[in-house]
Amino acid sequence: MNLQRKLQQLLRSLVQPLTAVLIGLLTGAVAISIVGASVLETYKVMWDGAFGNFYFVTATLARATPIILIGLGLAIAFRAGVFNMGAEGQMVLGAVSAALAALYVPGSGIIKMLSALVAGFLAGGLWSLLAGWMETRFKVQLLISTLLLNYVAVLFAGYLVSSPFQDKSGSAALAQTHMIDQAAWLPKLFQGMSVHMGFVIAIVLAIILYIILRFTSAGYEVRMLGYNPFFAEYGGINKIKVLLFSMFFSGGIAGLAGTVEVLGSQYRYVEGSLTVPGYAWTGLMAALLANSNPLGTAVAAIMLAALQTGAMGMERNTEVPLEIASVIQGVLILFVTAKITMNWWKVKKKAGDIHGAA
Amino acid sequence: MTYRLEMKEMTKKYGEFLANDEVSIQLKKGEVLAIVGENGAGKTTLMRMLYGLEQPTSGEIKLNGKTVKFSGPLDAIENGIGMVHQHFMLFSDFSVTENIVIGHEPKRNGFFDRKEAAEKVKALSEQYKIHVNPLKKAGDCSIGEQQRIEILKVLYQGADIIILDEPTAVLTPIEVEELLKTIQFLAEQGKSIILITHKLPEVMKVSGQITVLRNGKVTGNVLKQNTDIEQLATLMVGRELQKLTDRNQLEGEPLLVIDNLNIGVKEAKPILDHLSLTVNRGEIVGIAGVSGNGQSELIQAISGLRKIDSGSIRLGETILNGKSVAYIRNAGLAHIPEDRYLWGAAKEASVEETGLMGYYRKKKFNQSSFIRLNGFRKLVRGWIERFEIKTTSLDEKSGNLSGGNLQKLIVARELGFETDFLIAAEPTRGVDIGAMEYIHEAIIAKRNNGDGILLVSSELTEILTLSDRIAVMYEGKIVDILDRNDATEERLSVLMAGGNENESSTKTTTTA
Repeated sequence: MNLQRKLQQLLRSLVQPLTAVLIGLLTGAVAISIVGASVLETYKVMWDGAFGNFYFVTATLARATPIILIGLGLAIAFRAGVFNMGAEGQMVLGAVSAALAALYVPGSGIIKMLSALVAGFLAGGLWSLLAGWMETRFKVQLLISTLLLNYVAVLFAGYLVSSPFQDKSGSAALAQTHMIDQAAWLPKLFQGMSVHMGFVIAIVLAIILYIILRFTSAGYEVRMLGYNPFFAEYGGINKIKVLLFSMFFSGGIAGLAGTVEVLGSQYRYVEGSLTVPGYAWTGLMAALLANSNPLGTAVAAIMLAALQTGAMGMERNTEVPLEIASVIQGVLILFVTAKITMNWWKVKKKAGDIHGAA
Repeated sequence: MTYRLEMKEMTKKYGEFLANDEVSIQLKKGEVLAIVGENGAGKTTLMRMLYGLEQPTSGEIKLNGKTVKFSGPLDAIENGIGMVHQHFMLFSDFSVTENIVIGHEPKRNGFFDRKEAAEKVKALSEQYKIHVNPLKKAGDCSIGEQQRIEILKVLYQGADIIILDEPTAVLTPIEVEELLKTIQFLAEQGKSIILITHKLPEVMKVSGQITVLRNGKVTGNVLKQNTDIEQLATLMVGRELQKLTDRNQLEGEPLLVIDNLNIGVKEAKPILDHLSLTVNRGEIVGIAGVSGNGQSELIQAISGLRKIDSGSIRLGETILNGKSVAYIRNAGLAHIPEDRYLWGAAKEASVEETGLMGYYRKKKFNQSSFIRLNGFRKLVRGWIERFEIKTTSLDEKSGNLSGGNLQKLIVARELGFETDFLIAAEPTRGVDIGAMEYIHEAIIAKRNNGDGILLVSSELTEILTLSDRIAVMYEGKIVDILDRNDATEERLSVLMAGGNENESSTKTTTTA
């Protein structure tokens, strides 16, 4: 209620992720010294690679854009208590649908752009909704169905761009669509820099989601469903409706992640361009790190993106290999999951104490 | 003579909080000592210190005149102290025998000797007249049987002092009778029993000595023959309890009308079997029954949480069957659920969020789908004041409230809807006497206001105190409906067990 306690609460919620980051960096330090480089210097190079000058900052933000959106989408699902593991497939389907809409919907550039955004959102959303519907209708576990549907989505998108919609004009004949008309591109935020309008969309969405989750009745229903589905049902919340809505928006926003990548930086759908950098899994990590708080997810996503762009800078300028970033990320994942297990362990321990050591 | 067990001036501090303040108890051989007190009075803390689960801040434990110190439960068990916990700790896939001998298995050539184990258990069971089937799987045993396994386990470990923590909370009335007999028999055999409870009638039946705790202090140490339930209650609560006086029957029109309700007709045994029941305005109808006879399903059917096969449920003019929970609540139903942690709250949600359930849909607190928290917070603060709910703030997690305080929050929330009809299922389960009184008064006030209440409780005393009419449920049917003035604990017990009380009820019960 009063500001001081709010602040305390905020700080307390930050302790765990910050500890995870710190331990991640320490482990990274150990790895760097094993390689034989100077820890401080390497980290300095890494920092410069992520935030060293304006160009690098915008590169980091550009990389963070799809990660933020993925993280936000997952945060909704997690809040509703469902484990959507299908962000990758939802993102890819969104991307390919957006590319095709931008290519083939007739009209001016702005119409193409808007229809691409809508198509990307709908494709991701409906794909995710399919898993939600199977859960509510046939009790097919979401965790598994979303995970498996990833393969279907990624392979189907790959088929689309390697056969019916492939751009055969180039000499190499890559699996990709034609290039989108420049009028339909999402504008860059700064001349010559890679960060584009998609970043603004992601940040605005993070704020909107924060407000919805915290202050509206829809957000309340989602949170209560996630906390305790029985309580939600008892209180008159339509469980199925809220779950389906959550899944739809969760997937839709993941689809949007793919869409803004297509419209803002690739200008076409290229097979593998979204899956190889592992956006979906980094986004998952961001959501977990931030405990599904939308604003926190955005911050965590930028941080993780910085780790990746920083590592690229490090590789350019030192002998230390890029994989150090993976080490740090790996440790981060470990400690984020440790948070979950720790909570679980604490509960167990408490229960054990009460019942004695029989 | 020296006492078998003495705990002298035991004090336990958690930070500034005094959980136990110089508490002393004495226990002789063959004696039953009851430790009574409200939730949070310090009974559990005291027993945890005795069982080696907590280290006292100060104080002394003496066994047979010798000072002892336990660093853990194993120490305590070795010294002949055994504890039967409220929640059983059994391996449900293991046999009764295996569960009893676990940790001290008889061995032959280094291998577990099942045959000898079973014989030992059988002998023990006969010696103490505690009946179990040694070869049955623990998971297949009834709650009462499981408790007997726990008691035998403690005896097998050689306990002379047996702590029973709220042993009757989970039992049916008949099982309670049996347990009380067992306790008496064990005492006659020279065992010393410590009975932790807040059910005073049971205390009066079996114990010799009674120690009353309140807020961590001993408020009374009395012998059974020198006291009565009223005095104990006063010592526990710190003030005199008001007697719920006789009341006038109110003549109200029918409010909730259930007609020929069926659930689970395709099962071997239907869950609800042609059930009809009416609750009038200004009336509390109590449902008595051993749990598992369809009460939960009935409540769920009325509140829209469970589909019915056939029949109809009406609230006033509104038909409820087949409607959504939100529709039914809107039509005038509030519902204190039987399990507060499963249905009634979300542990991770704050006090405010738990209270908000249902209200967030109301116009008063909802402005174009944004929740108006300021007005709502005022309402919740009112509940907290009226029901003396102990919480540090509205942002406290519900799971951090004690069971009784959470229950009060849920009761306040449901009463706050001011609906015509209320389902009150186990409204005071696990709640201390003081809170129980509040809740009972609130329910009666609602009745006097002309609203209808369906009360479901496994506590016969609660049913008898509150209800105007009492319906007894057995195997999904209402076997009889008694008037307040005709109902006694004995008559209800017989009906609850499926017995035919008199000729008139044979028509409604079919012989199974």
